[in-house]
Amino acid sequence: MKNVLIIGSGISGLACAVKCAGLGLYATLISPVSSERSQSVMAAGGINAVTEECEEGDSVSCHIEDTLRGGARIGGKNAVTGLCEHAGDIIRYLEGIGTVFSVDSNGRPMIRAFGGQSFKRTHYCGSSTGKQIVSALIMEARRYEADGLIERKLRLDFHSALIKDWECFGALLYDEKKRLLVPFYADALVMATGGQNALFGKTTGTCLCDGYAAGKLFMQGADLKNLEFIQFHPTTLETAQKKMLISEAVRGEGGRLFYEDGGKRIYFMEDKYGPKGNLQTRDLVSREINNIGRDVYLDISFLDKKQIDVKLPEVRDLCRKYGGIDISQTPIPVAPAVHFFMGGIAVHLNHETNIKDLYAVGECASMYHGANRLGGNSLLAAIYSGWVAADDIFGRTENKTHPDFDRAIRNEEDKLTGLMSSKSSFSVIHIRDMLSDTMRKDMNMIRTESTLKEGIDDVDYLLSVAGQIWYDSSESTYTNYSLTGLLTLARAALTSALSRTESRGAHFRNDHPDMDDDYAFSTLISYDDGAYNTCLDKERVYEN
Amino acid sequence: MKIRILRQTEPDGDAYWESFDYDGTREISVAALLDHLNYNDDIINDDGVKTTRIGWDRSCMQGMCGACAMVINEVPSLACDTFLNKLKGNTLTIRPLRKFPVIHDLIVDRSVIQENLKSTDVYIGEYNPKENEDHRHQYEVAKCLKCGLCMEVCPNYRGGESFYGAMFANDCYLVYARNRKKSADMKSTYADHFGRTCSKSLSCMDVCPMNIPMIASMAKLNR
Ligand SMILES: Cc1cc2nc3c(=O)[nH]c(=O)nc-3n(C[C@H](O)[C@H](O)[C@H](O)COP(=O)(O)OP(=O)(O)OC[C@H]3O[C@@H](n4cnc5c(N)ncnc54)[C@H](O)[C@@H]3O)c2cc1C
Ligand code: SF4
Repeated sequence: MKNVLIIGSGISGLACAVKCAGLGLYATLISPVSSERSQSVMAAGGINAVTEECEEGDSVSCHIEDTLRGGARIGGKNAVTGLCEHAGDIIRYLEGIGTVFSVDSNGRPMIRAFGGQSFKRTHYCGSSTGKQIVSALIMEARRYEADGLIERKLRLDFHSALIKDWECFGALLYDEKKRLLVPFYADALVMATGGQNALFGKTTGTCLCDGYAAGKLFMQGADLKNLEFIQFHPTTLETAQKKMLISEAVRGEGGRLFYEDGGKRIYFMEDKYGPKGNLQTRDLVSREINNIGRDVYLDISFLDKKQIDVKLPEVRDLCRKYGGIDISQTPIPVAPAVHFFMGGIAVHLNHETNIKDLYAVGECASMYHGANRLGGNSLLAAIYSGWVAADDIFGRTENKTHPDFDRAIRNEEDKLTGLMSSKSSFSVIHIRDMLSDTMRKDMNMIRTESTLKEGIDDVDYLLSVAGQIWYDSSESTYTNYSLTGLLTLARAALTSALSRTESRGAHFRNDHPDMDDDYAFSTLISYDDGAYNTCLDKERVYEN
Repeated sequence: MKIRILRQTEPDGDAYWESFDYDGTREISVAALLDHLNYNDDIINDDGVKTTRIGWDRSCMQGMCGACAMVINEVPSLACDTFLNKLKGNTLTIRPLRKFPVIHDLIVDRSVIQENLKSTDVYIGEYNPKENEDHRHQYEVAKCLKCGLCMEVCPNYRGGESFYGAMFANDCYLVYARNRKKSADMKSTYADHFGRTCSKSLSCMDVCPMNIPMIASMAKLNR
């Protein structure tokens, strides 16, 4: 029986494991903490699909077109077609395993409108769609655990892939309980490690998604793709602990963005774009807020308190609890923040990377969303990509024997022991903080050649000292050894953004504000012993 | 403000108290406070001695994932949604959940939660709802974070050997309601590992961060 090792137990990792088990493969799902703590549980809004419940006139081809258009035409048509064609099956599957969807009086799932789509097609579970899906998938994983086809292991961190001659044989993991590196051999390795949040410090998501795995695999030879495309959410509330997403529903209910000038409120979005100005796309609103350069507020206090209680209870509670704000009385201070990564590990249509038997699924892979993601498409992609990878692994015939990695593993153990036994008062966390300062400043939503070059210089400096700072025994071992991977990923993202001398989707260059047809392709970046090589995927080798 | 934290270097190590001084704003959560102590600069205890950073689990930082469950001023709580200005007194006491083995400082091993659900086959399998299902309650129940706060506070929960805690009752109810073929099995599983031992102190409902009305799950399964 084939052994599949899956790193990361959010929706994509769970979906892949369950699909593998359904096909009779043996899946081991590892993560530092359980699926209940993954970012997937934070997804509130919903999941897109054209089903019988959808409005008249809507069709799968319309969903495909919306996705390709939203992605500014660099997503692959075949890839997106596969995604959208399977969306209905995915909703039915989720229903079939007992996901608690919001349903109408006939028990049919309800749909809501989401930005960038020509029809209402976002299926949802109250205000906790991701959480409800995770709960149902965990139950499925448990079912296969009883059959011995899935094993879920916690307190394990990805360290590196076991790769020889461009073929993957499993991974080296760090066991937090035993405090040592352990090899795990497998016929296929699936990465499901989520986005790259930690590059930016506080984001709307979780700090557990740090991008290290993508950075490390890049250093080991995997291509990365479209790293310059990062979605900012325009309305987040800054708190001492994180940036909390204030749902688009507030603007949907008439919420108005303004700043104050000499005691007067300036409704800048309405002034510039007319009465529907506040409902412009996430990118545009984010950039406009950024351009204002002063405190911006979102006002919904004019809405009747009862209406707020009925229509916006989550926003009301969140603002009260974390911001001390009564939204029926006071405007909400808002600022854009990093929310979603369209870029990541480059994968072919079968979700395999340029390294044989190494796959990537979910947000850590770059696929479907092109230069910008439609809300509700990422939960869909997380499940679909997990399925595609599982099917592909199933289709492979061989049961592999692995080459001897003993020397390479001893080498890594020695490096880690060296790191852990050295002493330094210089904390890795401070370097991480410096990295996120740089990324927030130079890889912000508005970029120029000079800021990106400054960012590259800063990260190069951090990379040069990262080899010299020593282990900070107060920090987790993972936090220490992950530093170089994170810095390398950041350097790759800045380099990708520098190479795209146009503006498209979520990537905006002040020095190249227009879209340029010559750039209507994905950016690929590879790593060769310290050199970062970018090119456009004009042949559409990865996504077509 | 004095912050007392029960610490432990390793799973088999001895627990010890360490205190810290804090004089910043009280408008922050315990999670933000722990971040502040750890990362504002070097971490210094109230004897002025540099010490090791405090270990604690975190993820979403907004009450949606249950990672940062701990005991704050003797109340099992999530650190990310417990605010200093809502706590009384000038001393804050934080300790790890005591019903689970400690891995490091405030980090505990909650794998018993999954183990118990696994060994008793608590999974839906196939959606085949009972008639008159209570959709709203199922939605609430499926929001359970598996944080373990209800087990920490429960006078009957020891280490999960035979009585599995309130979250178990909720999951049993979800399966019972969503797959009628398993309803009878779930009722008896529930009775074996929850119903017969629960003394209805209902302290679980006071601490549940998701405000899950466990009593409704119990009522439905006791019927
Ligand atoms: C606030 C918010 C709201 C959102 N709302 C929506 C929505 O309404 N609709 C929608 O479609 N999308 C939404 N998204 C996006 C969506 O939630 C994510 O894209 C999706 O959940 C990603 O799933 P995943 O399985 O790829 O990753 P995750 O759920 O992030 O899981 C990653 C897993 O990898 C593990 N991991 C990470 N690094 C390592 C490592 N080094 N070693 C071992 N394990 C590791 C983590 O612990 C975790 O288990 C939202 C996102 C946020 C932040
Ligand atoms: S029932 Fe409530 S307290 Fe118990 S584990 Fe679930 S969320 Fe936590």
